[in-house]
Amino acid sequence: MAARLLTFTLALATASAVSLAAAADLVAGKAKATEICLTCHGAEGNSTVADFPKLGGQHPDYLAKALRDYKSGQRKNPIMAGFASALSKQDIENLAAYYAAQPATVSIKH
Amino acid sequence: MNNTILLAAAVSTALISTWAVAQGAVTGDAAKGSQKNQMCKGCHGIEGWRTAYPEVYSVPRIGGQHEAYLVKALQEYKSGERTHPSMRAIAAPLSEQDIADLAAFYAQGGVKTASK
Repeated sequence: MAARLLTFTLALATASAVSLAAAADLVAGKAKATEICLTCHGAEGNSTVADFPKLGGQHPDYLAKALRDYKSGQRKNPIMAGFASALSKQDIENLAAYYAAQPATVSIKH
Repeated sequence: MNNTILLAAAVSTALISTWAVAQGAVTGDAAKGSQKNQMCKGCHGIEGWRTAYPEVYSVPRIGGQHEAYLVKALQEYKSGERTHPSMRAIAAPLSEQDIADLAAFYAQGGVKTASK
């Protein structure tokens, strides 16, 4: 019984630690976005330049995947490669969460 | 006077057309795009749809995205520069006209979700 309780407690602690590590910081995301992304992707990710995608309201996991791919070189773009290579895993989570939380500029379409 | 203006207009039009042809530009037709999206809507038309392979993540929302960006994305899938397997397979048979039509269609904007 005690062992079970211990296991349960450990599992709970691990789960909390994992979720804490992965938790996105919207304030930090906004700061990084303002510093780096704003010039091309616009305020709140509402890009007005046709070559640069709108990001506001996009799925956070898609945005994070795109940034990881730019960082790894899986997705090739000379502009984005430079910016993404300087981002940490936490920066990527923060930015993805920040843009996903902005007013939607893109939506599904049937 | 009028003739001069007309001539100038004609020359300008001819120059612009020549430039457009030289650029290989095709004009997208959203109505035609709406007839060509059978392969798109199974994923991009369902809110919250996720990829299954090779990595699980949400399929991007593309309704209302910039037309030029959508053209570029499809061209990069077609050329292999972007590597997602399903998108590569779907983009491979598309002509430049198909790509332009689809981009024009999706750029028009999509379904507003309740939460946004």
